[in-house]
Amino acid sequence: MANIAEQRIKREFREVVKSDEVAACNIKVELVNDNFTELRGEIGGPPDTAYEGGNFKLEINIPETYPFNPPQVKFVTKIWHPNISSVTGAICLDILKDQWAAAMTLRTVLLSLQALLAAAEPDDPQDAVVAQQYKDNNAIFQRTARHWTTAYAGGPNIDAELEEKVTSMKNMGFDEHKARVALSTKDWDVTRAAEYLIS
Amino acid sequence: MNTATGASSTSNDDRQSPNEDDQNGTYECNICLETANDPVVSMCGHLFCWSCLHQWLETRPNRQTCPVCKAGISKDKVIPIYGRGNPNPQDPREKLPPRPAGQRSEPETSNPFQNFGFGGDGNFQFSFGIGAFPFGMFASTFNLNDGRPGPPSPNSPQQAEEQFLSKVFLWVAIIFIFWLLIA
Repeated sequence: MANIAEQRIKREFREVVKSDEVAACNIKVELVNDNFTELRGEIGGPPDTAYEGGNFKLEINIPETYPFNPPQVKFVTKIWHPNISSVTGAICLDILKDQWAAAMTLRTVLLSLQALLAAAEPDDPQDAVVAQQYKDNNAIFQRTARHWTTAYAGGPNIDAELEEKVTSMKNMGFDEHKARVALSTKDWDVTRAAEYLIS
Repeated sequence: MNTATGASSTSNDDRQSPNEDDQNGTYECNICLETANDPVVSMCGHLFCWSCLHQWLETRPNRQTCPVCKAGISKDKVIPIYGRGNPNPQDPREKLPPRPAGQRSEPETSNPFQNFGFGGDGNFQFSFGIGAFPFGMFASTFNLNDGRPGPPSPNSPQQAEEQFLSKVFLWVAIIFIFWLLIA
């Protein structure tokens, strides 16, 4: 790995660990291996959103050309968000692509992702299904996102009705996660979700 | 969490020399976060190592923006900073083009338009256009700073060539006038 990338990650690491924002905004970075190419990030869901109370884990890969090219970041924790793929966790965020600037740091990236959770951009979606639901049926979207936060990110709000629907499909013999995806995609209509899974 | 212990020992070090740390932060390159080496500053006021900024500009030649504020930036529009002492007497810059040289502008640049710009990062391009306008006009009207080369030195091959050319053109002109007369 190029020396500048490693040097910078070391410095940034200190910055993230040291700054007061870490405690205030719930951002965290950990090392995965010793050569500073793979990192594990964590952000807390922003307050007053469907993601409140959840902890979202991120996989961060530092390219050799960092900081001249952006780090590759994706969600490890499953999340229901228009700009994040519910399947792969890939993120659609301009600063991780063409709007990256070399003065940005891991700290600013994590804060930007937290801001993205608070302010989705449904017109520039990563997950078309989620974005459509966000625009057409925002109440259902909010409930679904909150339910996913509870199911995958340790959020505190249990939505009994949605839990029940997942359980009922699980009892039909479907995999829990697949059932949740199908129900979320079909606006929590059990019949249509079952048809979707069978077809 | 071996990293957390590493960080706490570092913060202890920082506490021992807080002033030094602040000082260093002021002159850190915005790209490598180390104290700037061969420092240059952009028109928007952001400090970089020349090697770092050069690599950034090379990374995306089509869209050259300041890594900090995304104002327009280019090799010609950064100013090198020359401190008194040279921390690295042996300059390891063989592979890079040299840091751009400083530009001396004439002292009369204090014109009323200058206060217009250079304040905001975003409208820099626009302000610069206005500020430079009267000078562009002077230069073209009075032919100041004319870029054409002066006459060649006598007895040089260029002079012989020019004399030959002027003779050829003279004969062409004479033939043309003669043709006009007989036509």
